Amino acid sequence: MTISTAGADVLRRNNVTVSGNPEGRPVVFAHGFGCSQEMWNLVAPRFERDYRVVLFDSVGAGGSDSTAYDRAKYDSLHGYADDVLEILEALSLEDAVFVGHSVSAMVGVLAAGHDPSRFGALVLVGPSPRYIDDAGYRGGFSQPDIEALLDALDQNYFDWSTSMAPLIMGNPDRPELGAALTESFCEVDPAIAGHHARVTFLSDNRRDLARVSVPTLVVQCSDDVIAPVEVGRYVHEAIPGSSFVQLAATGHCPNLSGPDELTDAIESFLR
Amino acid sequence: MTDEGPATPSYEDLFERAPIGYLLTTGDGTITRVNDTFAKWTGHSADALVGRSFRDLLTAGGQLFYETRYTSVLTLSGEVREVALSVVCADGRELPVLVNALADRDANGNLLGVRAAVFDVTGRHDYERQLVVARRAAESAAVRLRVLQDASSAFGATTSADDLARALRDSVRLALDARQSAVVLLDGSNVVRLGDDGLREELWEEVQPLALESMVRGESIMLGNLDAASARSSQLAEALHLSRLEALAISPIADEGVCFGVVISFFGRTRTLGEQSSGLLAALARQAAQTFSRMRLQRELEHRALHDQLTGLPNRKSLQERLASAITIADRRHRTVALIFIDLDGFKIINDDLGHRAGDAVLAEIGERLGSAVRGTDTVARYGGDEFVVVCEDADEAEAMQVAERLRLSIGVPLSSVPAPYGVTASIGVALWTPHDGSSVTADAALRAADEAMYQAKREGRDRIRLVEL
Repeated sequence: MTISTAGADVLRRNNVTVSGNPEGRPVVFAHGFGCSQEMWNLVAPRFERDYRVVLFDSVGAGGSDSTAYDRAKYDSLHGYADDVLEILEALSLEDAVFVGHSVSAMVGVLAAGHDPSRFGALVLVGPSPRYIDDAGYRGGFSQPDIEALLDALDQNYFDWSTSMAPLIMGNPDRPELGAALTESFCEVDPAIAGHHARVTFLSDNRRDLARVSVPTLVVQCSDDVIAPVEVGRYVHEAIPGSSFVQLAATGHCPNLSGPDELTDAIESFLR
Repeated sequence: MTDEGPATPSYEDLFERAPIGYLLTTGDGTITRVNDTFAKWTGHSADALVGRSFRDLLTAGGQLFYETRYTSVLTLSGEVREVALSVVCADGRELPVLVNALADRDANGNLLGVRAAVFDVTGRHDYERQLVVARRAAESAAVRLRVLQDASSAFGATTSADDLARALRDSVRLALDARQSAVVLLDGSNVVRLGDDGLREELWEEVQPLALESMVRGESIMLGNLDAASARSSQLAEALHLSRLEALAISPIADEGVCFGVVISFFGRTRTLGEQSSGLLAALARQAAQTFSRMRLQRELEHRALHDQLTGLPNRKSLQERLASAITIADRRHRTVALIFIDLDGFKIINDDLGHRAGDAVLAEIGERLGSAVRGTDTVARYGGDEFVVVCEDADEAEAMQVAERLRLSIGVPLSSVPAPYGVTASIGVALWTPHDGSSVTADAALRAADEAMYQAKREGRDRIRLVEL
């Protein structure tokens, strides 16, 4: 496989990793808001025997190149969708299965809607086209809820360790006390997290669903407050010919809470 | 019997009455046990808490954070520390807490349960919140200041309407995180239309009426989503959607009530512009308008310094420069150059009889006629009073005489600015310069020679042309 310089730049920018069966059908796993490709640690290995497995980090997350974060580009999910299309092209993938979790489900919808040529199937795990309630639509959240999330982000990413933590905690000898969450897993650039949260939770992609023309599976979790079942149903009904599967796995992250069940659901859809 | 001191507390007591909240959950977050402290803090009874999801005790913002980060990191790394969340108490009050949690996993790594320690941070919460708010305000002020400073130096460095439009377009895109931006600038009769690469023509067409409306009213227009765009026109909404855009903002570029155009920002998602963003946009547009005003004033002053106000023709200073440069070029290329000196006959009587105002009208009328009598490359200037000079580059004797004759005839046509029998004719002197090796002529010398030839024409009876070779 030869990769152009531009292609190599794309792969570096998004920290793309390729594993599994080089002859297999490509499956691309895209992580959701607040995490990185590690989100697929329990699922991706199960596809490696039969599939060519592609993982990547969104710009601003994990091992991606944060300097590539152009706020104007990433002020809408289209910026992320363009990146997905570039990754597919850089790897010359055909008939690719795109598995998008959370916000990346909508990124997949936008990418496949814009240029379906390299897509063979979409798997949308916990998708929501709009998080905020609207007339005749229940997304589950209000604008103030999203502002509260931004507050929570700011509080959790506040860089106590370098400036305020010793002062407040009276523990100048133990700066690691302030390091909080951002250690080794799911690294997210705090400068980017707030903007990314705004773009994720304030987007409205309901109109884009009808444009999807590739075979699509909507994967719905149980008791998912971020993407409630009526939202999953809405997505299923809006995407022509899509399939819908309800998992027993609870919460918003079945890739962690029910990796076996999720793997089975994806595999049986592709079979 | 009475003074045995405190009894050694039981483990039960250590757990239940520890000065921290403590709770155990299953792998999926269902509470299986809480201590008294946690129950007391939250006002829920322990029985009511068991069987509920820990997540459901959190505020909506906290739930989003819990689902998108807390559980992911906990599952992947086995631990989270000092996660800031808020628990909703039985009476609706919000209790800010920090949570440390450890995952219990079996030999295969499967999550069996979670132990969480919860610290009440009500005291420092308000302080932190203030810090967060203050930091946000400071960061946002710094960003706005930088945008304005950068724009100010970018605008200041521009010398043309095109440059300015480009600088404004780029600074607005940066300031608002706009996916695309465009500027329409009215520069006299010239319309500068500058969009980002890839801005579709169909979209331009749909946006144009809005741009015009914004310009005429001097008001900005914000269409925050496709529904708002649809309400204006369904074609506009369609054009936006086809370009993968959802919202737009149009701001007039105005200074002291004068509108020079608009700047348009396009967004890839539903957007509302907060007070600060709107303010920044208005400030950028105003700054650009002021720069544009200054640029136009500068151009106007430069024009005035080199042109005669009455006729709009180049003035004597400008003529001398052009003549000098025409002679230099003629010398270099060995071409001839002709200088035609015109003095109006009969002008003084008009001025004396009908007044200066009528005289001015005659000069303006003649000025216009001269312009249409000469060749496209010739320069017509007002030399002073009722004297005009034409520089004809690259004209030999025959051509120069033809031009002079056309000028004479056009001046003689009856005037529309004054009543008959008032009228003027022209006494014309033509000086012809043919470069020859080793010698040149100054602009002054050429003008003196043409002037002299004109006097000769005047002396010989007016309304005629005299030629002199230099």
